[in-house]
Amino acid sequence: MSMRVTLATAALRRHPARTLLAVIGIAVAAALLLDMVMLATGMSTSFRSLLLTRGYQLRVAPKGTLPFDSEATIDGGQALVAALRASPDITAVSPVLGSTLALPGASIPSTFALGLEPGVQGDYELQAGSDFTLADGAIIDAVASRMFLSRTGAQLGDTITVAAGLDAQLRTAASTRRVVLRGEGRFFYVPNETPVLALPLPAVRAMLGPTAADRLSLLMAQTRRSDSLGVEAVRAWIERTSPRVTALSIDSAIRQVEERLSYFRQLAFILGAISLGIGFLLVSTLITLSVNERRGEIAVLRAIGTPTSGILVQVLLEGLVLSGTGITLGIGLGVVTARWLNTILRDFPGLPAAFDFFVWSPSATWRALAMLLVAGTAAGLLPAWRAAAIPVARALREDAVG
Amino acid sequence: MTQRVGRHRGAPVSWEPLRSWMVVGVLLASISARTSAAAQPATALRGMAIDTRLAADHRLRVGDTVRVSARPGEPGAPVRIDALVERRADPAEVARREYRARLHLDQAQELLGIDDRVDRFAVRTRPGGVDSTVAAINAVAFGFRAHRSRDVAVTSSRTFRVVDRFHRAIGLITVVASAVFLLCLLLLSVEERRRDIAALRLMGISRATVVRALVLEAALVSLLGSAMGAVLGWVTSIAVNVHFQSVYRTPLTFALITPGILAFATGISLVLGIGAGALASWRLVRTAPLRLMGR
Repeated sequence: MSMRVTLATAALRRHPARTLLAVIGIAVAAALLLDMVMLATGMSTSFRSLLLTRGYQLRVAPKGTLPFDSEATIDGGQALVAALRASPDITAVSPVLGSTLALPGASIPSTFALGLEPGVQGDYELQAGSDFTLADGAIIDAVASRMFLSRTGAQLGDTITVAAGLDAQLRTAASTRRVVLRGEGRFFYVPNETPVLALPLPAVRAMLGPTAADRLSLLMAQTRRSDSLGVEAVRAWIERTSPRVTALSIDSAIRQVEERLSYFRQLAFILGAISLGIGFLLVSTLITLSVNERRGEIAVLRAIGTPTSGILVQVLLEGLVLSGTGITLGIGLGVVTARWLNTILRDFPGLPAAFDFFVWSPSATWRALAMLLVAGTAAGLLPAWRAAAIPVARALREDAVG
Repeated sequence: MTQRVGRHRGAPVSWEPLRSWMVVGVLLASISARTSAAAQPATALRGMAIDTRLAADHRLRVGDTVRVSARPGEPGAPVRIDALVERRADPAEVARREYRARLHLDQAQELLGIDDRVDRFAVRTRPGGVDSTVAAINAVAFGFRAHRSRDVAVTSSRTFRVVDRFHRAIGLITVVASAVFLLCLLLLSVEERRRDIAALRLMGISRATVVRALVLEAALVSLLGSAMGAVLGWVTSIAVNVHFQSVYRTPLTFALITPGILAFATGISLVLGIGAGALASWRLVRTAPLRLMGR
């Protein structure tokens, strides 16, 4: 076998420029295939891990909407929270009310605000300072995003004013509150470019007035059973008992997001197939030409007793060596280009900061690259078969007379 | 010249929320409480326009009466369908599968219970008066902010700019892959002519003539390949458009072959063909003819 490997590599070394070009071609094809596999599987992987950041398997949104897809809110929020918390199948419930609050006197006119309950919130992780409490005094606490701090120029410990219910005719705000910035948080579901404040839920409700007194934008629920059947049972129960809401499990949320981003999956499939085709054609062309050039040499090998299978294996090995070398280079190239493409797509407006399009998924990646390796090796099958079937006497004569 | 005024002092405000609420109402009402136009006195009903997708999915026609509500579960108000609206070929809407309904402003305000409130309105100014009008509105504004239409367009077109950059990046990778493939094929096709070249040289044909002949041949092969590629691309673009237009139910054109794209592809192909032909033939004519013959 080692002799056949030596002969196969020697055949490739005989034409270094040609071999180098083929290896580069396969490397680029492998890189493209790797990128497309990362794109096709990455969105689901990234979105799943994003949704499970704090362990909440269910999202409850106003009927017919995705969380924060519109300004619609859930009516009767407190009763719904109480009902969910009373369920023995649910271990935690996190209510969320989102709104835009004005920032009088600040360098930015308004900010996105989230009304949350600190003990159960699943929207951010604290990165500096301390968390807010539900204490509702003259000054309330808040956690701000880095974007909020940088755009307003505020620092932790500063006190700012937030307002709601601006009346254009009377030029007054229905409600203003003094807020002290206690901590800085990394918000999982808010786009990087959006300044955001997390405030106590009762304070946000009070600021927004009677229309928001019993309203919620979203509820997150953690189920006792984490398996898909257990989660699905709770999801169905919520939708059955609360007809005004849509309950989304991680799988159904991913399905809906994938539907919106299906263009990228289809693009990934088409380009992945093209890269496989390019790899196949490259190896097939090169090996065919190489075999045609070495008809005499192969005839000699056959004449001195090399079996047909030996010739077949040697030619197939050439395809394997070419594909293997190209794929090895392609993995490095693919990872670099995936980072570059991910940087481009992460500029998409409105996507959560932690969302990635290209995610390394070992099983999918190895499967795709194995397909390319098999395609590259199989590309040598026809020329290998033709080489093994060369009529020895005629090939020797042709080689001798030229 | 128009400018837009949003209700918040901040980024341009979209009308999406209002539409989404209406959509929910229309959806629920159209399925559960459809009545015939004849059952209601026509004069008492307000009219609305719905998109053709909603009409097709729920078998609604002009003249039908549906009930619309701002919130799920509420009985809502009866509304007559006065028009069907074909969706624009807007890339921003292509992946959104929601339905659209258009109501009169006062009708929507009444339905939503938001008396005398709007999400935004557009203002037409005299030519050259956009900046001064925006400044004047913002100087007196409280609770809303004026934006130039141009600025709104820039903000809302960010999605397309990102997709465009992504397409260009992917295009660059595929062009590199195709170029290497093409280069390899053309080099091989010239290399395969070793014996022909040796024969020509032995007959006394000059090196320059042989090189010119091979380069011309490579250029012709490239041109022929480009023409076949253009036909294949045209057929593929039709298939892509038919597929995606049916998947997304939109008249949007997804793949378009422009003269610029044709010129770019043919140019790349020609440059690579001529380059590869010249390189390979120059290498071969410098080798002794008998060696090319394998002697």
